[in-house]
Amino acid sequence: MRVGFVGLGAMGRPMALHLLRGGHALAVWSRRPESAQPLVDAGAMRCPTPAALAQWAEVVFSIVTTGADVEQVVFGPQGLAEGFSPGAVFVDMSTIAPATARDIAARLAARGVDMLDAPVSGGEAGAIAGTLAIMAGGEAAVLERVRPLLACFGPRIVHVGGQGAGQVAKACNQMVMVGCIEAVAEALHLARAAGADPARVREALAGGSAGSRVLEVFGGRMVERDFRAGVEARLHHKDYDILMQDACRSGVPLPVSAQVWQQLNALMALGGGRQDSAALLRVLEAASGASSRES
Amino acid sequence: MQIGFIGLGIMGRPMALNLLKGGHALTVWARRPASMQPLLDAGARAADSPVEAARGSDLVISMVADAPDVAEVMLGEHGVVHGAAPGLVAIDMSTILPAAARDIGAGLAAAGVDFLDAPVSGGEVGAIAGTLSIMVGGSAAAFATARPAFECMGRNIVHVGDSGAGQVAKAANQIVTGVGVLTVAEALNFAARNGVDPARVREALLGGFAYSKILENHGQRMLDRNFKPGFKSWMHQKDMNIVMQSAHALGLCLPASAAAAQMFNAMVGAGLGEEDSIAMLKLLERLSGGEA
Repeated sequence: MRVGFVGLGAMGRPMALHLLRGGHALAVWSRRPESAQPLVDAGAMRCPTPAALAQWAEVVFSIVTTGADVEQVVFGPQGLAEGFSPGAVFVDMSTIAPATARDIAARLAARGVDMLDAPVSGGEAGAIAGTLAIMAGGEAAVLERVRPLLACFGPRIVHVGGQGAGQVAKACNQMVMVGCIEAVAEALHLARAAGADPARVREALAGGSAGSRVLEVFGGRMVERDFRAGVEARLHHKDYDILMQDACRSGVPLPVSAQVWQQLNALMALGGGRQDSAALLRVLEAASGASSRES
Repeated sequence: MQIGFIGLGIMGRPMALNLLKGGHALTVWARRPASMQPLLDAGARAADSPVEAARGSDLVISMVADAPDVAEVMLGEHGVVHGAAPGLVAIDMSTILPAAARDIGAGLAAAGVDFLDAPVSGGEVGAIAGTLSIMVGGSAAAFATARPAFECMGRNIVHVGDSGAGQVAKAANQIVTGVGVLTVAEALNFAARNGVDPARVREALLGGFAYSKILENHGQRMLDRNFKPGFKSWMHQKDMNIVMQSAHALGLCLPASAAAAQMFNAMVGAGLGEEDSIAMLKLLERLSGGEA
């Protein structure tokens, strides 16, 4: 199958490489040409515009930052929409608002193009290892057509529901994950303030009911005070805007998430947007004045 | 003055009537023609579009639901900007995002039209009585031009600062009132569930540092279980969303506002959206296994 890939950042690059390794003919486009170079070196074809890429490919993947970026790539000048033939499949793996995903899908459907929203969880490490969790929204038949391609990115592919359902699942994923990061940060902050070694506390917790992937990975970063991103906190901050707006529209109270959102706001104010979300620990430290250790 | 007035809902209708009473010549426009009738009966002239309401006017005032509506009536195809005579001051008295107000102000300025954002506080009661608080952002010159019109509609009229500053003040107002309604409801519910008469507690608190207008007025309506709006809770939800979006954009930590905003979400979800925001008390009672 001829496959196109748009957006070759920290996530997109390793994902596109997996498609090449899986033996698929790959064309790439990226806003910054230098990000395409590693893919071109590995055998991908470079396209001058998204439209040219869509003209050539049968299936196009994208993974960019915001809903506005997706709209730009699809409907902007020389966007994918100008190149798609009827019957093409567009799979957007970015994390964007469910409403935006539904809107783009409807506009593409009018041109005979099928779309899936298929955001991922697992971060850069999961993208490199090919172990991402994929949450797909759209028609089941379309998902089946591209499932072998998605399988290159990760083994856990769940068809959540119709258009936008993948993004809804992703919003829930972010809520649970970042909420856990905040809980772990608070626990380790309390541990240290109360005179216990946070590393030992984390180790003790890992064996019991409080054990979790977040405690392991993000708790580990907090103990090491290694706040280099992983996933940059500004991206989680962006995700909270999406999910809190959905909560407002739906008349759904999210009391804990609303507080986590405020802690993320505070982290942005501390200049931590490009750090890992484990730096939520720094917000607690700044608030209680306890130990302004080096960050 | 010749004044155009756009948007004749619960707030806009009495505000426009007060301008007529103040002796100003009024041209009105509303999306639903039926809502214009009370004003026409009182002597206003009907316009068939926002641009018509602007033509020949010294001031044009909009009082509509949300930012896209303001942008449409001011800058849209049939917007005020296309009918503006030199010297026109366009005024939006709706509650919208400060950033959206600044954008609309910039769009009008590019066409040579002065803009004021002038949201109000005081609700329907204040609109009818002409006792609204009006918080104004924009140039001092435009404020001076518009002041006689503001004086027909309100009492506490403050020029807060540059474009957008009125909306910032209104958002701050909604933080205080939104969190305030929640805390007064919590206090009265707390008293009742501890077996103490909440009316006596309110009375006791009124004399001390916990005194506030919200405790006095909203608190009394909670005791009376008078949940008729007033200020509908879905509108407070909308305003808290403006607060939280601004906080997100600026990187501000607003923990209490965030909590209150979630309670307003719950009110809307629970079907209390059309009731006054003091129905917060009902929500707390439900969550505490009490009345309602």
